[in-house]
Amino acid sequence: MRGGAIPVLAWGTILLVLAIGNWVWNGKPVGSGAASAAVVIIYGFGLALWRLRREAIRRGPPEPHTEIENVPSASLSAMLIGLAAGCALFGLAWAKFLLYFGIGLFVVAVGRMILELRAERATRREVLRDEEQR
Amino acid sequence: MSVASAPRARVPRLGGWLGAAISTDHKRMGLTLGVCSLFFFLLGGVFALLMRTQLAQSNMQFVSDNAYNQLFTMHGSTMIYLFVTPMAIAMAMYLVPLQIGATRLSAPRLALVGLWTWICGGLVMQQGWFASGGPGRAGWSSYAPMSNGQNTPGVGMDLWVIGVILAAAGMLLMAGCVVATIARRRAPGMSLLRMPVFTWTALVSVLMVVGAFPMLVLVMALLYMDRHGAHIFTGFEGAIDYQDLFWFFGHPVVYVMFFPYLGSAAEAIAVSAHKRWFGYLAFVASMMMFAALSMAVWSHHMYVTGGVTNQYFAFTSTLLLVPAGIEYFDMIATLIGGSIVLRTSMLFGLTFFIQFLIGGLSGIFVASPVLDYHAYGTYIVVAHFHYTLFAGSIFGFFAGVYHWFPKLTGALLRESLGKLQLLLMVIGTNLTFFPMFFLGNDGMPRRVSRYPTHPGWGTLNELETIGAGIIALGVLVFLVNVWVSLRRRVLAGNDPWLGHTLEWATTSPPPPLNFDGPLPPIRTYAPLLDLREQELDRKRRSAEVSAG
Repeated sequence: MRGGAIPVLAWGTILLVLAIGNWVWNGKPVGSGAASAAVVIIYGFGLALWRLRREAIRRGPPEPHTEIENVPSASLSAMLIGLAAGCALFGLAWAKFLLYFGIGLFVVAVGRMILELRAERATRREVLRDEEQR
Repeated sequence: MSVASAPRARVPRLGGWLGAAISTDHKRMGLTLGVCSLFFFLLGGVFALLMRTQLAQSNMQFVSDNAYNQLFTMHGSTMIYLFVTPMAIAMAMYLVPLQIGATRLSAPRLALVGLWTWICGGLVMQQGWFASGGPGRAGWSSYAPMSNGQNTPGVGMDLWVIGVILAAAGMLLMAGCVVATIARRRAPGMSLLRMPVFTWTALVSVLMVVGAFPMLVLVMALLYMDRHGAHIFTGFEGAIDYQDLFWFFGHPVVYVMFFPYLGSAAEAIAVSAHKRWFGYLAFVASMMMFAALSMAVWSHHMYVTGGVTNQYFAFTSTLLLVPAGIEYFDMIATLIGGSIVLRTSMLFGLTFFIQFLIGGLSGIFVASPVLDYHAYGTYIVVAHFHYTLFAGSIFGFFAGVYHWFPKLTGALLRESLGKLQLLLMVIGTNLTFFPMFFLGNDGMPRRVSRYPTHPGWGTLNELETIGAGIIALGVLVFLVNVWVSLRRRVLAGNDPWLGHTLEWATTSPPPPLNFDGPLPPIRTYAPLLDLREQELDRKRRSAEVSAG
């Protein structure tokens, strides 16, 4: 994590300079708006990383971390969410019933993902408890 | 890092296709994305061959005008939204965690959502072929008002718009996961300035996706509403606004389709020259500058509209020469003094740089407003972007394929077939795209299904069609090579090329959590080369001691 936000924020700053240049020289509202939006998105991403861990803006190599974390090997729900989005939007143009089917599938898939995440957290708690007992 | 390895979730553990479909392992996701992209590449190639057949002679009647419009639209869209860009993301998804010593991708579920959203996008876009009136036919950029409901009616065009939205949203999610992985999951010791060259090129690419692709989703959503009665892009201002928004995505995507392949070629060249990539720091700085500048040049596609400030965009476009020059300088300096092995990956890497040079130099031509007035809408533009995207990126892609195939599969690709493929593709590429400069300079417009019997045009077009056939033959040789190499495996071992970066420190193919043993110490951007150099130094010193 250490230093992870630096390239994002640095790149966002270069974009900001160029966006200002565009605004001053070109001055078209749509173009300037698009450039500003990109700056906001990139800065937002960088700031989110910083907020997650302060060390994200500190230089130097990352330290070894010993936290226990889950590694999901498969996720049916994630695939279903992608398919649901595709199905719903396809239905928008092709056949309305697919839109409703897609929305239904999306709700089911999100429910399934909540179950997956809860089960994963439970596993993590178990492993932590085992470690403490040892 | 400790890992809670067996989540209690009742996730079906399946092998084969279904297992790959729901796997959150970055390697399987990267492979799925790569294989699907390759399928779309073949499909887009078929569209190109059909177009070239129509253009082989003037006034051919092979396909109708409408079908030709559909073909060039779907060829461009398939290649850009469904092959070159996602393939770049696929390579990043597969290789970046390995190169930075991570066990997995950050937010893998989100990446899987993105993968399936993108797959749906591709299928929805191609579904247009089965719609009455056919698929999208307003070009891969689908300018308004040409693409509005009145001028391009039909479900097929709607499906094209929705397909682009889905594909872009999917790629955005996957790219976000790659950025987060680089930010959060680097191995101990892997500071930012010790990341491999390919990882840096992947990082700037995915940053550009995160910065620019939301604009594509937005402009396509607005276009969909416009097509269904919202009248958003009306009049001159509306047309300019559409182009402004579209090219804000449309130009950066060219570099998203370039940087990872540049990184592939750079890795292949450095490893085959048995030298570190020269000028690492300057390279990293130039990549950051290159990527940022490429997000400030979009309106050079709009010089002739009279709706933008040409001087500003000509200035930023010309500035792009500086970082591009640094990359070429680094490549040449890496070769100087190296012990060069001319294996297929190296040859593809070198050809990438040479061919891309033609695309880059013609880019200077079209970046100048005065010259662009002459070139706009002609075959010069087609030649320019095919030299950057096909003659450039695709050769870089194949450099990467020949370089990393042993890591992905544990088997070596056949060198002889690889060199035959290279030869065919070099001949085919230059035969197809170089005559386009002459045709364009002579005024032949792009996106026309028939052209007048102008002196010389017939011959040049015929040559281009023959060239396209030779490219197809080259791709066929590649497919045969993959087939033969997987059927009759020549085992590669873990590090067949004496690689520099961490992916060569693990098994081929890598295990589920990427590294079974401890990682080598990471002190530079080429940790395995460091180890070998240290070993060599130790041997030399002990030889000196024993001689003394």
